[in-house]
Amino acid sequence: MRVIIVDDEPLARAVLREHLGAHADVDIVGECANGFEAVKAIAELAPDLAFLDIQMPRLDGFEVVELAGAKTHYVFVTAYDQFALRAFDVHALDYLLKPFSRERLAQALAHARARLAAPAPGPGAEAMLALVSEAQARHQPLERVLIRDGARVHVIPVDRIDYIEAQDDYVAFHADGRTWLKNQRMAELESQLDPQAFLRVHRSYIVNLGAIARIEPTGKDGHCALLKSGARVPISRSGYQKVRDLLR
Amino acid sequence: MHGVFASWRAALLYLLAWLMLGLLLAAMLAVSGAGWGASLLFAVPLALVYANATGFSAYYVCRAYPLDRRRPLAVAAGIGMPAACVAALWCALGAAWNSLLAALAPDAYVPVASNPVLASMFGLGVILYGLAAAVNYLSIESERVRQLETQRLQMKLMAQDAELRMLRAQVDPHFLFNSLNSISALTSLDPAGARDMTVQLAEFFRHTLGLRAGHMVTLARELQLVRHFVAIEQVRFGARLRFEAAIDPAAAACLLPPMLLQPLVENAIKHGIGQMVEPGLVRVEAVRAGSILRIRVENDVDPDGAGGVAGNARGTGLGLVNVRQRLATAHGHEASAHWARRDGRFVVELALPARAADEAHPATEGA
Repeated sequence: MRVIIVDDEPLARAVLREHLGAHADVDIVGECANGFEAVKAIAELAPDLAFLDIQMPRLDGFEVVELAGAKTHYVFVTAYDQFALRAFDVHALDYLLKPFSRERLAQALAHARARLAAPAPGPGAEAMLALVSEAQARHQPLERVLIRDGARVHVIPVDRIDYIEAQDDYVAFHADGRTWLKNQRMAELESQLDPQAFLRVHRSYIVNLGAIARIEPTGKDGHCALLKSGARVPISRSGYQKVRDLLR
Repeated sequence: MHGVFASWRAALLYLLAWLMLGLLLAAMLAVSGAGWGASLLFAVPLALVYANATGFSAYYVCRAYPLDRRRPLAVAAGIGMPAACVAALWCALGAAWNSLLAALAPDAYVPVASNPVLASMFGLGVILYGLAAAVNYLSIESERVRQLETQRLQMKLMAQDAELRMLRAQVDPHFLFNSLNSISALTSLDPAGARDMTVQLAEFFRHTLGLRAGHMVTLARELQLVRHFVAIEQVRFGARLRFEAAIDPAAAACLLPPMLLQPLVENAIKHGIGQMVEPGLVRVEAVRAGSILRIRVENDVDPDGAGGVAGNARGTGLGLVNVRQRLATAHGHEASAHWARRDGRFVVELALPARAADEAHPATEGA
């Protein structure tokens, strides 16, 4: 079993390393001290199992799972986090509470072995994603958007986004003159953003109100928003109503 | 016992006053023509009996008609009725006493109680009853004020105690569990280090448990607590956490509410250094400028903003607002707390009235 350890504290990694050393079938292929390294390592090494700390600089454990995907199995390792604990209980995923015993770790490994031998019995990837979205709900309104590009992670603070455009299964974020694509649904994104700052002005467009320079009429009945960056965003009739209500 | 009979001293004073009244009554009777001996024999026992009657009954009447909850007319009627009854009884008693004395000692006693004397006794009885009621109202009122005062003091003490307990509980549970995890790692890697860490943890908690509500501590002592805390966190964070303290000796002797600095340093580590990939510095600075003590806690923050403004606004906000409130409770508007993100650093500045331990209250430097 190929395993990576992700924790920002050297001593916490040392405990895991020491305990895992007693299991002959476990091969530690990597150790990471922060979320960015973890996403990169999981993408490149494709380990079977990752021990993930939750509180880490830049990217927390849930964000790592969101970005790295559910192909790898995860065991969360945390000191104390009542929100996370509730989420764990609901979705019956394995987690270790620091400090943990040798026996408890062996139990978690046995779980992982069973899951690897017989893929996807019971709660698998779905439960993991549900756990992640529950964890994300605590971060609302969204403060930053995380986008994975191969092994790299881009962090876009939401106040830098000009507008967001739906493109098939993707959403395109336009910020600082660049465009990033992310596999996400428009409605889900809309519900995560701060409604005071972002407005869905069109079926396919969400605009940052702070980025609007002015509203211009187009055609006979339509409107569009001219942004400070020079971009034009179409506004639907119901969208125009919302803009007027909000700006009044 | 209640009212004027609540204590021996009050009861004695009360009876003495009535003895005087009895003598006065006797004097009035003597002046109007009766003999001195007969007047005294008649008036003094009657006065003392009436003293007891009014002393007991007026207290209950006053309790039954509290001044602040009954209308004035009801109170007047409530006092007036028993006053009239008791005074009438007194007159009857006076007449009976007069006859008894005349029957027992027909030679020595010349009857003093005539109808006009009894009538004026009735009037006097009503007035005296009213006076006794007033005295009772006064004593009830002062008792109530005293009770309120002790209640207020008790509440204040309880509030201070609760605040401190809350502050102790506010020490992040993460801190304890993560520290235990570090000790668990050190036991095999570095047993001596593990032992040191348990000592540091014990010192830290012993120190917080030793704090007493309402007792100020010196900045030097608070800094000791902070150093224990930082030493523990440095085991966890390793080289990522650097700590500096620049405390002016005059400032170190100044007093401040306990657990004021520790939450600030805890915040700096958790939301500042804890969110950084690179090593960061937490710096505490304190100077005394005349009558003002200035304390400054600053920490590096992640330049990419993950633990930046937004993170600080959410996570740190509560702790900082708490510190500001505690300063306001201790020093009113003489103290202030400000915080801002400046040049990639998060800075908290406190200003409070400087008072050294030996200047004002040498005894307040709590253990």
